Amino acid sequence: MNWQREGYLSKRFGRFTGYTILIATTIMLALPVFFLLVASFKQDSEYMTYPIQILAKVPQWSNYKAVFTMTPFVKIATRTGLLGISVAVLTTISSSLAGYAFARYRVPGSSRLFSIVIALLIVPGIVILIPQFVLFARLKLTNTYWPWILGAIVGNPYYIFFFRQFFLNFPKELEEAAEVDGCGPFRIYWQIFMPNAKPVIATVMIFAFNGVWADYLMPLIYLSANKTLLGVAMATAFRNPNGNDLKTISMAANVIYVLPLIVVFFFAQKHILKGVVTTGLKG
Amino acid sequence: MAEITFVKKGVTGGTEQRQKSSLTRSQRRTLTFYAFITPWLLGFIFLGLFPLIVGFLTSLTNYDGLNLATVKFIGLDNYTRAFEDPDVGFSLVRTLLWGLLNLPCWLVISFTLAMILNQEVKGRGFFRVIFYLPSIIPLVAAINAWRIILEKNYGMLNYLISFWRPNTAIGWMSDYALPGMTLIAVWGGLGGGMIIFLAGLQNIPDELVEAAKIDGANGIQVFRHITLPLMTPVIFFQLVLGLIGAFQQLNLPLILSTVGLSTGVPPRPIYLYMIHTYRQIFTHGRYGYGTALLWMLFVGTIALTAIVFWSQKFWVYSSEATTEGGRS
Repeated sequence: MNWQREGYLSKRFGRFTGYTILIATTIMLALPVFFLLVASFKQDSEYMTYPIQILAKVPQWSNYKAVFTMTPFVKIATRTGLLGISVAVLTTISSSLAGYAFARYRVPGSSRLFSIVIALLIVPGIVILIPQFVLFARLKLTNTYWPWILGAIVGNPYYIFFFRQFFLNFPKELEEAAEVDGCGPFRIYWQIFMPNAKPVIATVMIFAFNGVWADYLMPLIYLSANKTLLGVAMATAFRNPNGNDLKTISMAANVIYVLPLIVVFFFAQKHILKGVVTTGLKG
Repeated sequence: MAEITFVKKGVTGGTEQRQKSSLTRSQRRTLTFYAFITPWLLGFIFLGLFPLIVGFLTSLTNYDGLNLATVKFIGLDNYTRAFEDPDVGFSLVRTLLWGLLNLPCWLVISFTLAMILNQEVKGRGFFRVIFYLPSIIPLVAAINAWRIILEKNYGMLNYLISFWRPNTAIGWMSDYALPGMTLIAVWGGLGGGMIIFLAGLQNIPDELVEAAKIDGANGIQVFRHITLPLMTPVIFFQLVLGLIGAFQQLNLPLILSTVGLSTGVPPRPIYLYMIHTYRQIFTHGRYGYGTALLWMLFVGTIALTAIVFWSQKFWVYSSEATTEGGRS
């Protein structure tokens, strides 16, 4: 909507209200993050006490050092990161293969199978997750990382859809020329389509990695405490050897937990937001 | 190289080379297509369809995770049991309340933000990124942060309210967990909603708005008669996904009760349907009953989605309805 014909005053007023709402929203969205950050610099005796003090008296930089020396954070983060990267790579390969096939091949059964992909977009994930757990439990694959790896090899309907939409726009001449030159289908996919799909690959990888890094439910139901991932580890405070909660040190760990995601998001935000629009997937 | 191995898959016997040349182009393309989608197709069958069917069969038994030797079919007992379980009705009501509170808040706020950002504002890109930022913060960290605000005795929110009403101690994570949880959900979700609404708004042709203005429509009339009708397909899409999401909400109350209260059992106001189901399976080992509840949710979700789809014709604008609509 534009305000051109509304007269100068109401235009100014509309602008003013607009900016006020935007800035107020920004502040409200930032508040929880701000409080987390502030809490991570407090001493335990300052955290959640009365009377409430917002800032730490003396910023405890040692909290951040303690995350690395006193808690198993690094060990769990490494484990989660490695699993996240494996899942991201595998799911990108399998989803792009299927996305490429759905975009470029019209053969018997292909459109029917694609409608299954679309239907899976709206089937509640949880409805499949729990029967899957029962299945993996019967296969004695609980407390292993196989459920993640197998799930990644399968690909994901959202990513398949995303790749397909992207590949649909590629000019037909491109692959026809390659076919004339004797390129097989796999080489066309790998040497022509994939190198030109870098923004989509980056977006899918970030989504997939984030999916492992941020996930709470899967590590909770599949893994025991000594194998668990960050999502579960961060839900409860780390403890010192005497069994007392290290509250603000855990807050510092939370900050470190979130930080890489924010950094990656700022670098790739253009592609990520485009991905959100294309797939309707939100984070 | 790769091409030959793909062709091999579809052909029986060992004389691939000769058989390959005897295949027509379209047959070869069919085989290639299926080779490409094999990982997904196998996964769909073994990790999707198969568990679903096994899950359904489980729901007809008294399986509790341990009694495989003596497990027996008990027909629809698990389903009739759900109707006698008072917690099912209770959790269903809480889930409905959750949807009724969360969905409109989320839709209205993200739509309003998108409307504002669709005007010529400075820093649109900046606000888009900032508003989306909460979506990428893991829920566990988000709730750790929100706890500092929502905590009953030491939280910032009650502290703020205490300026007007001294000694406020509202349990935003216990007795009033529903509004508390809505706050967290809207905080985390409005960026994603806003991005999608904004994309929809940018598809509305400028000529339509200009024409209406020339005809003397004011801002509110333009919104009421052009923007809103043209946005109904996007609102519809968001509503369907939001409804499905509201009914399968499990993570938020689960993490809220782990982080905030350390009990692992959500307080009654946010004892949602999926929490009840989750507890049947993972706390009590009632696999049969739990999967029955899951299937009822599945069927219920489909029914609800169907109703929303049916309601489409009363409020969702489609380009076929008016021949000179601007949507392409």
